[in-house]
Formats: sequence, structure tokens, C-alpha cells
Amino acid sequence: MTGVDRSDVLIAACGPAAVRVGGVSGDREQDWRVMHQIARRLAARGELGLTGSIPTYEAVLVEFDPMLITIGAVMERIQDALDAIDPDAPLTAEPRTFVVPVLYGGDGGPDLDDVASLTGLDREEVIRLHQEPEYIVRCLGSPGGSPMLDGPAFPVPVPRLSSPRASVPAGVVSVAGRQATIAPASAPGGWCVIGRTPLTLLDLSREPLVPYAPGDRIRFTRIDEAEYTRLEGRALVAEEVAA
Amino acid sequence: MSGGIRVDTASMAVVTDLGRTRGPAQGLPVNGALDQYSARIANILVANPEQAPLIEVIAFDFAFTAQADLLVSVTGAPMTVDVDGVARSMWEPVSIGAGQRVALSAMTEGLRTYIAVHGSFDVPLLLGSCAPDTVAGFGVVLTAGWRLDVRTPVAPIVNPYFDMSLFNLDVLIPYFGDDAVIDVTDGPDAGQFRGAGARLFEATYTVTAKSNHIGLRMAGDLPVRSSSEEMISRGVPIGAVEVPPGDELLVLHRGRGVTAGYPVLAVVTPLALDDLGQVRPGQQVRFRRTTVERAEENVRAWRARLDRLRQRVDTVYACLGVDRHLELWDPTGSPRPSRASAA
Repeated sequence: MTGVDRSDVLIAACGPAAVRVGGVSGDREQDWRVMHQIARRLAARGELGLTGSIPTYEAVLVEFDPMLITIGAVMERIQDALDAIDPDAPLTAEPRTFVVPVLYGGDGGPDLDDVASLTGLDREEVIRLHQEPEYIVRCLGSPGGSPMLDGPAFPVPVPRLSSPRASVPAGVVSVAGRQATIAPASAPGGWCVIGRTPLTLLDLSREPLVPYAPGDRIRFTRIDEAEYTRLEGRALVAEEVAA
Repeated sequence: MSGGIRVDTASMAVVTDLGRTRGPAQGLPVNGALDQYSARIANILVANPEQAPLIEVIAFDFAFTAQADLLVSVTGAPMTVDVDGVARSMWEPVSIGAGQRVALSAMTEGLRTYIAVHGSFDVPLLLGSCAPDTVAGFGVVLTAGWRLDVRTPVAPIVNPYFDMSLFNLDVLIPYFGDDAVIDVTDGPDAGQFRGAGARLFEATYTVTAKSNHIGLRMAGDLPVRSSSEEMISRGVPIGAVEVPPGDELLVLHRGRGVTAGYPVLAVVTPLALDDLGQVRPGQQVRFRRTTVERAEENVRAWRARLDRLRQRVDTVYACLGVDRHLELWDPTGSPRPSRASAA
């Protein structure tokens, strides 16, 4: 049975050049799959005036050029996509897995001790919990296509920094609320930085610019300084799948 | 390459275009010219595709020397345009001879001036756009001594009668005044502000110095959210009016990060975004409520005006025998993936 029940989504104008579709099915996993399917279907359609979509957790922002297409036509295209989507189908049939080596604490992870005290854990426990899950890449965020991950199973959410840093370097591994991410590019940051990966995520010479896509999997694995130095500057690539 | 320009003076100037429309789906902001109308007109006046690379000069003086005969146009914030000591007009095509020096100075109002050259500039593209991206570390920031190659220079078109202006193309020049009135539509989260949202239309806001291409920060009587529930990150449109913690209103512009966790109170219309691209720190801004339907009508009227101008320019250049670049013109103003490599 395909087609998304119309009562499972809210479709609303988000200004004259965007439409926001929100999932309200009550099933967060289904909402997430549907939002990303909408983005993929509209991109595949490649219609004049549909400039691109930004799918996140339970919403997708569909951007368009109002010189070329009316908001009414955009809403019809969204409805077409909804009619064709199987809300139960997995987003990615064969997700790839990316293993991200992390040097925890020290200069590369200045907030590790604070995260430990804020969550009532010790450092080793924070590091262990952070490495435990196989994270699903939920969406690509700022800066530069950060993989947005549902956070480690800390006992309480991690507050954001009261005063965001003006700049954090590329490769930092951070947590906030109940989320985790990796920064592909240097940018201001208000999340707690617990470590850093020596691998490069962003490559401007290829498309897409980052190797992972929503629906793929990420695992973190602890490394020491010698390993960090050895891996520095290498590109993050998917694990080989055993045939 | 058969010549181009050499930059003589530059403080804040970049090579940009209408933006990286393929960026947001990959986590990059769209960026590009903050006053899209002026940028489009500049390219139309020299028979370029509207999305062709051009120079955006911000606030300060800028000068260059032509290294070939060039056809140039200057639009956007008013500046004095001086070609080898002779004042020339903005908002019309100007013939520049090889070796002549073009100096832009004394920006009196507005913030961004555009310089387009017939044939456009040969610069690197990322996802089909040359627009600078500070996060990705991409783009051409112009400094004194920088050389930009022009793809196709043209022979000079000289008016034998006192070197007067050649063209009367009837361009509608925007108003670059002191107070800006900015049209906004209701945002999808306006309900979270209840009655306090009306304050946006009653107060006057002052643009602060922390404003840039990412967003404008404004001081004034802030609408306060009536709910304090934590919001999960979502895609936010250009023009989103947000009230983050602190004492300033935030209006996102083309350099905005594509996701944010604040409710969207209102959204600035595409035409009003051009006005915000010309607003200076210290200036006053008022917001005016409009509808999506009304904003759509205005955008279409604006597009029709640009199309009429392009037709007039096309006619003039056909008569003068200037090689036109209309074959490159993509009416979307936004290169699509399949065409990017051909551009």
C-alpha cells in the first residue's frame, strides 16, 4: 500500500518562496522517512522552478523560485510525491557504514570534562556511551553538511555552551541536547566539543560534498595521538561491505 | 583569455552571482548577490546571462584598469563612477577602452554596488556557482593587484558626439533611502507569538553593526514567544524573521545556515530582501504585513520588467552588432545540475 495519509502531514507556506511540510503521524521514524522521500522525489523530478529541498527530522523545507512556479503548483507537486511514497519503506535499502576515529578530550575535546560533570558520569563513561550506538545520519545540517545524529544515551540532555565559540575547527565531534554531530568545516559553535577526528569530511571537488547521506550509519571509535597523526588529512570513506 | 581587468583598489569586494541554488540540499547556504535585482540588471545591460559572475562592491571605494576594450555596467548603491577622469552614469552600459581606469567612490546611500562586464569573468565554480562561501572557504575576494580574465571582450562602442551616453534603456532604479519598509508574510510559527507578533508591525527597528550576509540583527521592541518549548532543527528560508535569545531581532539573508531551531515569526518577501541587502548599520527598518499571493504578484511584475529590459537591450545590441550571450541564458537564473558542467 503506497501513499501517505494526508492527515499525517501539515503543509504550509513558509514565505513566498518556500513551503514547509511537517510530519504529524505520531511516528517519528515514519515522519523522518517521509520527509526525506519527499525531498528525493522532488529532486528526481527536476522541475523548473523547484530549486531544492532541505529535509531534517520531522519537516522538509521545499524551496522554489516564485518567478517560475506558483506556490499552488508547488503544493500540487508535494501532493503528487506524497501519493507515490510508501511510508513504511526504508529510506535507504542498503545503508553504508562510516567509522569515524576520534581522539577524545585534550585540546581537541575541551568540553569532555564538563560533559562528564553535567551528565553525572566520568570521562571514560562518556567516551564509552558515545562509541556505543550505530548512529543513523538523520539529515545534513550547518556547517557544510554536518551529519546530524540522535545523541548517545546520556542520562540527561547536554546543555549548549552559555557562550558559543567564535570558531571551532573542522573535524570536531560534539554533543548537545540529545544530539551528536561532526563538523566538516570550521564555523562558530555552541555545542560541547568532546573530541576530534583526523579525517576530512568535506571535499569541494566532488558532488555530493560529503560522503554520507541521510539514512547511512556512523560509528565512532577511539584512537590515540599516534593514530591521529597517522590518519590526519585522510578522507572519510564507507566501510567495505563483505560480499 | 584575451584580457580582462586588473584591480587597483579594493577593500570589500567579491566575485559573485545569483547564488548556489544546489547548496542548501547539501548543507551549504545559497549565498550570492544580496541585491538580486541590481545584480540581474547589471548583467542584462551588458547582454550577459543573469546568473553570470559579476563584482559585488561593499561600502568602500573600488577601482580597476581595463586590460582590453570592455563593455561595463554599474548598478546598485549609488557611487561616483569615473573613467579616466570623466564621470559616467550608473544603470547603463558604458564602453571602456583598454588601459582606461575605472574608479568607483563615495557610496552615499545603500551598501552594495554591482559591476558586470560583457562576457563575464572566468572564475571557479562550486556546485555551478561562483558565490563566495565563508564556511566552505570558497570564492574570489578581490584585492589590489588581482587580475580577472574576461571571457569575451568587445570592441568599444563610442558615441562620436561628445562621448555622451549611448543608451536610454529606461531602467527602473530602486530607491536607496534612509528608512526601509520591508514587506513580510506571516511565518509558519507565528502562532507561537500569539498577540506579541503584532509588535513586529508597530515597532521601528535599528540595524546593528553585527549584520552581514548571513543575517541582519536589529534592535527594537521585540515580539516575545508565548511558548518556550524546545524546537528541533528545521530548514529555514532566506528572509526568516526570528527572535533568538538576547535583545535583537534576527532576519536571515542569503548566507544563512540552512537549518535552525528557532520559530519563524515572519518571512521577508524576495523583493524586500533586495532592499535589506542595501540597508546600512544604523538605519531604521519598519515591517509591513503582506500576503503570499500579493508577494507572488509583485515578483511576477518584477520578472516582466526584467524581461522587457532584456528585450530592449537585445534590440540595441543587435543593431550595434555586439555579440550577445543569450544562448547561455537560462531563464531559471539558477543552473540545474544537468547543465552545470556545460556552463
